[in-house]
Parts: sequence; C-alpha cells; structure tokens
Amino acid sequence: MRFLARRLGFYLLTAWAAVTLNFLIPRLMPGDPVELLVARMRDNVDPAAIDAMRRAFGISDASLWQQYLDYLGNLAHGELGRSITFFPTEVSTVIADSLPWTVGLVGVATLISYFVGTSLGVLMAWKRGTWLDGVLPAATFMHAVPYFWVALALVFVFGVTLQWFPVSRAYGLEVVPGFTGEFAASVLYHATLPAVTIVVASMADRILGMRNVMVTTLGEDYVVMAEAKGLTSRRVMWAYAARNAILPNITSFALSLGFVVGGSVLTEIVFSYPGIGSMLLKGVENEDFPLMQGIFLVISLAVLVANFLADLAYVVLDPRTRQEAQ
Amino acid sequence: MKRSLVVTAALAVAVAGCSSSGSTSKNIAGSPPLVIHAVDAGTFQEDFNPYHLENVNFGTSGMIYETLEFFNKLKPGEVTPWLALEHAWSDDGKTVTFTLRQGVKWTDGQPFTADDVAFSFDLLGKNAQLNRSALEIAGTKVLAPDKVRLTFKSTSYAKLYNIAGNTPIVPKHLWQKQQDPVTFTNPKPVGTGPYKLSKFSAQLYEMEKNPGYWQPGKPEVPTLKFPAYTANAVQTALQQGELDWAGAFVPDIDKIYVQGKPEINKFFFPPEGVVNLLPNQANPILAKPEVRQAISLAVDRDKIVRVAERGYTKPAHPTSVPMPGGEAYLPAEYKDAAFKVDLEKAKELLKGVDPAKLSFTLLVPSPFTDWVNAAQLIREDLAKIGIKVDTRGVAFADWVSKVGKGDYDLSIRATPSGPTPYFQMRSMLYGDLAQPVGKPGTGNYQRWKDAETDKLIDEYAATEDEAAQRKAVQGLGKIMVEKLPTVPLFYSPAWSQYRTNKYVGWPSEQDPYAMPSPFTSPDAAVVLLHLKPAAK
Repeated sequence: MRFLARRLGFYLLTAWAAVTLNFLIPRLMPGDPVELLVARMRDNVDPAAIDAMRRAFGISDASLWQQYLDYLGNLAHGELGRSITFFPTEVSTVIADSLPWTVGLVGVATLISYFVGTSLGVLMAWKRGTWLDGVLPAATFMHAVPYFWVALALVFVFGVTLQWFPVSRAYGLEVVPGFTGEFAASVLYHATLPAVTIVVASMADRILGMRNVMVTTLGEDYVVMAEAKGLTSRRVMWAYAARNAILPNITSFALSLGFVVGGSVLTEIVFSYPGIGSMLLKGVENEDFPLMQGIFLVISLAVLVANFLADLAYVVLDPRTRQEAQ
Repeated sequence: MKRSLVVTAALAVAVAGCSSSGSTSKNIAGSPPLVIHAVDAGTFQEDFNPYHLENVNFGTSGMIYETLEFFNKLKPGEVTPWLALEHAWSDDGKTVTFTLRQGVKWTDGQPFTADDVAFSFDLLGKNAQLNRSALEIAGTKVLAPDKVRLTFKSTSYAKLYNIAGNTPIVPKHLWQKQQDPVTFTNPKPVGTGPYKLSKFSAQLYEMEKNPGYWQPGKPEVPTLKFPAYTANAVQTALQQGELDWAGAFVPDIDKIYVQGKPEINKFFFPPEGVVNLLPNQANPILAKPEVRQAISLAVDRDKIVRVAERGYTKPAHPTSVPMPGGEAYLPAEYKDAAFKVDLEKAKELLKGVDPAKLSFTLLVPSPFTDWVNAAQLIREDLAKIGIKVDTRGVAFADWVSKVGKGDYDLSIRATPSGPTPYFQMRSMLYGDLAQPVGKPGTGNYQRWKDAETDKLIDEYAATEDEAAQRKAVQGLGKIMVEKLPTVPLFYSPAWSQYRTNKYVGWPSEQDPYAMPSPFTSPDAAVVLLHLKPAAK
C-alpha cells in the first residue's frame, strides 16, 4: 500500500509540473493570436478592430503570474475557456468532439498492433529457423520507416491510384451521423487506411521487442526444465516463456495507451481525420493558447493515468515487485 | 482507373445528351447541387453568426445575410444597389441615409425594414468585439419603414464600403432576444439572402434556395454543398473532380486540375492586393531612396512571376494599382509605366553608398514556399549589383511578429485589398499606422513617413467625390513610382477554380462582375446569382 501511496504522490507532483508547462510553453511562442489572424487574413482587418478582437478572445495584458493564477483557478472549476481558432466554441467542446475519433481510431489500432505484434514475436522466437524468419527483415524495415511515409504510400496506392479506400475524413459525406449501420460501416471504411498505417508502422516495434526478449527467456533454466518435464510445447511457449518475456512489452503498451490520446498527429493530418491531433495542429498554427492548454492537459493526464495503470499491472503480473513493495 | 472514370463520365454526358435530344431544358428541380470548397477545414463548428471573424461558416455573409450595397473589387467604382436602393451623405460626411428596397422578406416570412438595419448597426456600436470594420457609430435613426439614417463620430466617406458593402444585416425580431451576441453561434440563421441553411454536420453543411428571394427567378442553383476539406485533401478532391468551385493554391494546376480539359476545368486568378518587397526604413541605408530605386531596378519580376509564382499572376504596375481594372486610378504620366531591369542604372545609383553597408537579411515565412523561392531569386538579382542579401525563412508566427515590430531589414508581405486602390495604399503608406520599432504595427510595416502621402490619404477620406478620390490615389501612385516607399513585386492572385460542366456564367477576365474566389463574401453570392445550368 505504501508503494501505491508513494506512486500516487509522485503522480500528483508530475501532474502539477505538466499543468504548469502546459501554461508556459504556448506563451513562449513569438507573436500573439490576433496578429497571426490578421496576417492570415491578408491584413483585411481594420487596424482599429484589432483591439475589439483581443477583447472578444479574452487575451489579457495581465502579468504572467496573474494569468497563471487565473488559469489554475479556472482549471479547478473545470473551465478550459473558449478556443480562439474555433471562437466562440468552448475548448471542452472541441476536445469532446474530436477525442472520440482519436481514441476510436488510434486505440483500436494500438490494440490490434499490440496483440498481433506480440503474438508474432512469440511465434518467431519459438519457431526460429522456419519461414517465419522472413518476417524479421520486413519488420526491421518497417521499424526504420517513418510512419507518415507509410501513410503517404498507402494513400497514393490504395487511395489515389486504385481508389479502393477514401483518403480523407472520418465518414462519408452522404452519411448522416447517428446510430445506424450505414454510419458505422462508413466510419469503418474510412478508418481502414489510417488504422492500417498505425498497425503496420507500430507493429514492427512489438514484433522485434517481443522476439528479442523471448529469445533470451527461452534460454532460461526454467524453460528447459518445463520442456524436460514433457509439457506441451504450447504450454511452455505461452505460460512459461511468454508470460515472463512480456513484462517489458506491458510497459511499452501502457505508455502507448497514454499516447493514444495524443493521437497520431501525422496520421490524422495525412488522412484529414477530425481527431485531436488535427485540432492540436490547428491550435499551434493559430497560437490558440486555450486550445493548446486544454489538449496538452488531456494528453498529459492520459499519459499519467496510463503509467499508473502500468505500475498496477506490474504489481499484479510480477510477484517480485510485490515483495519489494512490502 | 482515372482514365476509365473520365470515359464513363463522358459516356454519361453523351447518354444524357441523347435522352434530352437537343432540348436545352433548364429544369431547376433537376439541376445538380454545386459542391464548394471555400476555406480549408478539417471539421466545421456550428457557427453562423455573420459578425464572427474567422470561424464563421462560409456563406453566412452573402448567401444567407446580405449587405446594403455590392462593391465590385475587380471594377473599382462599380457599386450595385442591394438591400439599399441608394444612399445620401450629409455635407460633413458624418451622416448617411439609406433608402431601402421594399418587398424583401426574411426567410421566416417577416418583412425586412429599416428597423433591422438600425438594429444591426446599433449592435456593432454596442459590441466593439463584433465591430470588425471599427465603424465609429454615434447613432441610428429610423426615418421611415424604408429609410434609415446612420451617424458617425467622424467623417466616414472612405468607410462606405465597410458600412454598406461589408456589414451584413441581421433580423431585429430574432437577434434582439440574444443576451450575448458576441458568443451567439446562431445555429438556425434567418436571412434575406438567396440561400438558407438546410443541413449541418461537422463534415458537411448544405444550403438550399430561398424560394421567396427578392430577385425573381434566382438563384438557379438549387442546392449548395460545403464539404470539409483540409489543405491537402482539397488537392485530391480537385484532381478527382469532386469539387465544382474551389479557391485553393494548386502547385501544378495543369496536371492536377485542368487535366487536358481547359474548356471544363477553368480557373481565373485576378489580382487582389499587391505583394511588396518591404524595405524597412528604420534601417538608415534602406531609408535612402536611391538604394530602394536600385533594388527595384535589379529585381527581375518577370522571372519571379514565372518561376516562383508559376505564372499564376502578373508583375505589379509600378504604382501598385491592381491591373486590369484600376486604369482610372493611374497618374497620367505613368499610365504605361512598367518595371524594367536595368543593372547599369542600379549600380550608378549605388555609387555614393558604402558597399560594405549594402548587406541585408530578407525575412520570409517558410510555409509560403512561393515567397521563399522569390526571395532566393531576389538574392541572386541583388548580388549582381553588389547588394549582399541573406535570405532567412522563419516560422509564420515569428515572421508576423518580427515584421509587425519592424525587427527586419527586408521582407515580403501582401497588402489588403478593397473596392478601390485607396484601401491598399492606406494600409501600405499611412503615417499614422507606422509604429516605432519594437511596437507591433498593423500596417505600414516598412515605417514610411511622408507628409504629402498622409495629406493625399486624408484628402481621399474627406470627400465623396469620386473624381477627387481618384486624384488622391493618382497622387499616391506617383509617390509609389518616384519615392518607392515599398517595392511592389506582383499581384496577390485570388484563387478560384470552377468547372463549367454543371453551371456556366462564372466571372472571367472578359466579364469580371465579382471576385471569383469562393472565399470572398459577399462576392461569392453574387457569382451564384449569375450561374445558369450548363446546356446539355
């Protein structure tokens, strides 16, 4: 229990640091949102109206310290303010609208890539010397290729040239959002290419990681002992070797769950997917402090929660951590 | 795949042509919807408040809400009565009275009256946050159901465009109930315009024809569709023919968009403001007129337009007045002036300047790749006359901030445009806009200060006499040629791609009746009112 309490204290401290950085970093960027807006509109704004816009967007000239206190106060009330890019929409609405798309797409893709990648890694380590070894160079290649490049290649081949899959948007234009089979089918159809991108690009890491640890584990005495006992090779593979080898992969899985919320920004941009990554890009382009703060907050909290879950999972899976904790 | 699609489309057209066998039927009910891309967006927010600046969904102003008059920016001085039939200024230019069109109805059936106009301007007067044209409204008075008088705190002749041409009128009976018009998103807009909102979702909204529109028989396009496209998705959409009307920069337009069918896949990029090389006059060397003259003489604008701008635009007239269209605003002695490269004369002009001091940085926003290329060409050109230029591409925000504060030697920036060249001249040259270095400015970024310039700008603003206004702009054009406060390079092209397979009657170089870009309002609504179904 003391272990958990200590971890919790650590997480609170980290959360505070994250919240403070979320506040500071956007403000270190040069310029201010209204100047940017004016430049983007090719100066087609009367100079005298700029003051009006500042007031509408709630951009204050107060000291940084005062702004920081206001920010913490609003945060305590759960208020994230109004977005400047999407004025007058509230930041919480922007996040609530975009988060489900990202969590749905990246979350499902991460789960698929984790299960398929880990299983492939186990199999490849077990069946060394068979045709499965051929996957290894392919995985190494995919590991090295940046995933937005994979995305672009997929768009070019399957989207533009063959026209099998749509290359942008989360669902078809002709479909009305709602709980209908037609809508669900359209969402799945549109999610195919981006999901494949994420799976293909992130699976290589899982395969290689799992395979390498597994190979080491297979040399352990307890695996030899299990084989000597005459257990079925399946049982040895999964219950003896894989269960021990999977620990590092659990950590990386938990971490990647945290990053699910952060989204695959580049994937979302390439596929014009209306997720949180696209919103973050918009926020950064427009120096939309409230939006950036809100999104960073959600991302950092998600990473923290995921880490905490990883800690918990570790305690459950690895008896050694339990002993040290006591 | 693409080719077979084209064949199928051609077949479909042929079959359709056979079935209607020669009859050029213009059946509105059967007319196809028009698919429009105005601004890059991943998703739309449900905002139809016409006074919101950027995020308001395109079409709110123009297609749903209308203005009192329409100003054609491509033919400076051409003003069409719209919701107002005429206007009359008081002698001091502080009061203007509009006579309104009668018989106009809001889409909920209520009549449009002077009350609505007075209410709209009062709304802007009370809510500075919505008053984007910074109109100095002192009061409004309804004189009759079709007559309204607006009073301003100062002489406002030059703001007629902002008052009559750029302020959408909203219905009093619906808006007066709104507690906070600043954050009001107006999800169910009721306007006087040719269209009304029929469908909204985050990825697509649609407008349908207003059957009771005051221009009989119009519009002839029954439905408008606005799908959300991001900047890169719009290129694919143009290539695959999903869009009928777009306003996008397309890197290789012949290959991506025209695709060998120039009679259907058309584009028209008229000038909208001018792109200048800004010489910061806070720099003592660039403050010398002969140095600016030398720079201007060395820059090969034809090459910049051909190479960096892909031939999409034209080199600017030395007065910076947008051409064609601005003929009446050219000073007589420079009517036929044109920029010409003359390296010998440039070197001659630089004789009295210490060559060691002829070294500048040229700041460009790196996301604007065309300007980055132009900057490289300028660097090469200026090297020929002994001026060392160090081009530096910086992030957009950094560029905005540095140019605003005057923290640069040379930079490139576009000017705003308006219904006459006065608007760009004022923003470029007005002394009141020149801030001290270190303080962000909102125009005159090169910090030009000249009593004669300011006098001409004030003269334009102090009269409603068009001849006198033209004379003031001609004077400013003369200053541009002789003193080069900024170095004009080329016109900013207004992007517009339109397909003629469904509808015809688009603006063109021969008939520039309105800005052709779908992102310019209220011009886009004027374009829609001119469209007719293509003969099959």
